[in-house]
Amino acid sequence: MQEIKSDYLLDLKGVPCPMNFVKTKLKLEEMKINEVLEVILDDGDPIQNVSSSVKEEGHKILKVEKINDHWGLFIRRQ
Amino acid sequence: MTPQKINLDLEELRKGGIIKQRQKDYFILRTRIPGGYLKAKLLSKFMQITDKYGKGYVHLSTRQCIEIPWVHIKDIGRLKRDLKKYGIFTGACGPRSRNIVACPGSSVCRFGFSDTQALALKLDKDFFGKDVPKKFKIGLSGCMNSCSKPQENDIGFMAQAEPKIDLNLCISCTLCAKTCERVCARAARPPAIVMGEDKKPIYRKEFCFFEGDCVRVCPVNAWKIKRSGYAAFLGGKVGRFPMFGFKIAEFLTEEEVFKITKKAIETYSKIAQKGQRFGEAINRIGIDEVKRQVLCKR
Repeated sequence: MQEIKSDYLLDLKGVPCPMNFVKTKLKLEEMKINEVLEVILDDGDPIQNVSSSVKEEGHKILKVEKINDHWGLFIRRQ
Repeated sequence: MTPQKINLDLEELRKGGIIKQRQKDYFILRTRIPGGYLKAKLLSKFMQITDKYGKGYVHLSTRQCIEIPWVHIKDIGRLKRDLKKYGIFTGACGPRSRNIVACPGSSVCRFGFSDTQALALKLDKDFFGKDVPKKFKIGLSGCMNSCSKPQENDIGFMAQAEPKIDLNLCISCTLCAKTCERVCARAARPPAIVMGEDKKPIYRKEFCFFEGDCVRVCPVNAWKIKRSGYAAFLGGKVGRFPMFGFKIAEFLTEEEVFKITKKAIETYSKIAQKGQRFGEAINRIGIDEVKRQVLCKR
């Protein structure tokens, strides 16, 4: 798979649900269509909830990867 | 008026959801809200009614109904006419089937697999207020979260979904397997999804309990719902002798839900003694026999 480059990085380590999703959503709304946001999330509920919520909002998830104890979520703004 | 006559009248009142209060000559009027969704404009009518006939407050029942306390016996007739005029349904108490309880369902809830609200309204038309040996409660839940607790109803239906995966869409993120493992670990169950050596998920249907988290969590919609339907639970109750409903069927269609509910009420009326709940009658004659009768096609 080709390397995905992100335009913005949002580190949400330690940010609980639903604030992590709210912050992700606000950031996505500032961005231009097709720009890519990388969000760093905690394991467990945060990665599960934020990825399904972002999907429901109609954005495209390009990649989800485990980075040590956290997760990187790459989202293309739609 | 003889005491017997008074009892008869009270029983007649209970049919229409009128419950005697502790205080002499005062009654609680129970309304009925199938599935718990109420047009908000009706709230102002409730306000008018409680100001006119009650004491300006209502009680929210555990079966999603609004009850109006402090109605004087002489006002019951006029109050019922007002309710009818406003389109507010009256509830039931005594030995009959009760308001149908439902979660918000798939119309708004992101977890719901089925429209429990629409189903509650349809079931209400066919099954509310039927005469039964003790009482008969129906509960509907749109997913395994069981927010409306269908398993503690005489018959409860809980939506479930069987997943399938399109490996061409899968991005090998492992979220489905992680989520499944995490959920299954709560009950010390082996996970239904494990990651294969090719970094793609492997679905092991024999371990799946059809709750659908994989479908919800998948970031690219590679997991989809293959089929959904309702699991049926029979004989649940709380009260003095609590029971968790027996699961008797899975993946029922809406049409089957109607057939089984009808059969369940018939079976209950046939096997239970007066004053006995369905679960108690099931304990007496055995779930296998009751299940056979309820699932009987004829």
